[in-house]
Amino acid sequence: MSKLLNRSLKRFLVYAGIILAGSIPVYYLTMSRLWQYELDEHNVIVTPEAGREDSYLIIVAVTSLTALFFILLMGGFILLNRRISRRLWQPFYRSLEQIRLFDLGAQQKVVFEPTDVDEFAALNQSLDKLIAGNIAAYNQQQEFADNASHELQTPLAIIQSKLDLLLQSKSLTNEQFTIIEEANKALARVTRINKNLLLLTKIENSQFMEKEAICLTELLEQAIAVFTSFSEDKQLALQTHIAPGVQVEGNKILVEIMLNNLITNAIRHTAAGGTIDIHLTANNLSVSNTGATPLQQEQLFKRFGATSAHTPGTGLGLALVKQIGHRYGWHITYAFKDHLHTFSIGF
Amino acid sequence: MKILVIEDETALAQSIVAYLSDENYLCERAATAREAIDKIDVYDYDCIVLDLMLPGGDGLSILQEIKAQNKQDGVIIISAKNSLEDKIKGLQIGADDYLTKPFHLSELAARIYSIIRRKQFGNVNIIEQYELKIDLLAKTVLVHERPVSLTRKEFDLLLYFISNKNKVISKNALAEHLSGEVADMLDNYDFVYVHIKNLKKKLLEAGSNNYLKTLYGTGYKWEI
Repeated sequence: MSKLLNRSLKRFLVYAGIILAGSIPVYYLTMSRLWQYELDEHNVIVTPEAGREDSYLIIVAVTSLTALFFILLMGGFILLNRRISRRLWQPFYRSLEQIRLFDLGAQQKVVFEPTDVDEFAALNQSLDKLIAGNIAAYNQQQEFADNASHELQTPLAIIQSKLDLLLQSKSLTNEQFTIIEEANKALARVTRINKNLLLLTKIENSQFMEKEAICLTELLEQAIAVFTSFSEDKQLALQTHIAPGVQVEGNKILVEIMLNNLITNAIRHTAAGGTIDIHLTANNLSVSNTGATPLQQEQLFKRFGATSAHTPGTGLGLALVKQIGHRYGWHITYAFKDHLHTFSIGF
Repeated sequence: MKILVIEDETALAQSIVAYLSDENYLCERAATAREAIDKIDVYDYDCIVLDLMLPGGDGLSILQEIKAQNKQDGVIIISAKNSLEDKIKGLQIGADDYLTKPFHLSELAARIYSIIRRKQFGNVNIIEQYELKIDLLAKTVLVHERPVSLTRKEFDLLLYFISNKNKVISKNALAEHLSGEVADMLDNYDFVYVHIKNLKKKLLEAGSNNYLKTLYGTGYKWEI
């Protein structure tokens, strides 16, 4: 990759070089003709040696002059190019920097500096329009997700209550009861998805801003205590190496959600008899569990990226983990090695 | 005992009233803020089930009104908004509990039972039912005056059943009650079965009658 003006400069220099090199024989022929003419005019006769010496002199003079001019031209071009690119392209580089720093989630408008160059003004205007459109679409989408999940809560509540009521009817058969229970289960899943979507939108809308110092060690131990009975049910070996007194800055609710999601994922996706390893050091938390094949990295953290008939989760757990990590600038990675899935968070 | 259900969604209000109404509870309904205030002004309720989003007024302002009148009615907020701010605000103004929609009716009944019990019995925190005696503060259970040792979850389940007596409760509802927020993330509700089996066994071994019936395979009912 090279800068735009450097590209044209190279061509200019090559062209100047060719023209100047081509001019050497032309100058030589012209000069020697003139010289010969002057000699004939004044009836001066030179010996062949002297004649050869003269033509050498002419060649040397012409060549060195051409080289001198070429160097002057080249120096001039480079200097001019540098000045032009600095001055002329400055608005462009400023706009570029603005766009580079732009973060759709941050909700700040991009302000371009005014420029008197038509092309750049047009560029900035188009960019302005594009960004404004993007922000509007983004806000609309957020608002939609937020409203939709809220609006869904009430009908969900009605369905739930009607199912509960239906269970009370005296003449229910076993078969009907099973059908209601299955509906109940699906309803619980929809409720969960809805709740997590709402949570995701809230995080993206920069709610949960309040931050505090959190003792991660404590929080993690609490979470593990809650989940131990579930991992025991599945006969999983839960190994923990937790450094004492690890502190992070963040929102307690969000950090709790992050820990819960990582641990439940591990429990949910480990086959019975497997191992889960939770490792906390001063600046890293990793949750590993045994597995057969590596997961698709690029799908993993996307919303609904990993959902399938075999994973009855909400498909939003890792998206939440990523979003929360992103909020605090924590680095979240996934690796698969020696039949272990490992999710790590670097603080 | 009187309960006021303030909820504008008719279908939901009907379900709540139908579930709660029995020999113990007398339920009334209000669908708007105006209607609710009128009723609260005139009557005393043991518990008020309050929806936050109502036509003609915010549920929180009704709550403020109740508290301004120095009423002793217990209040449980049911809201479609799962926002923490609302929850904190509601509890600060003086609500006794907060439940996010959707919820199981059995969960609502358990919360109402707990609020009414706290309000009515003051410091006497003992529930008696024939040969059973439950001390809520000490978290102990006596059968024929002999203590039965229950785990925290078993004790929790027993209370849930008693507050939903003669009602069929699904395994789903029990799982969600037992594991709270965490239930969200677990797909396997089999752990409920183990706790119920143990509770039943312990009560029967202590000489209690068999009140806890299994229905249709995965439904349960505390029958008296």
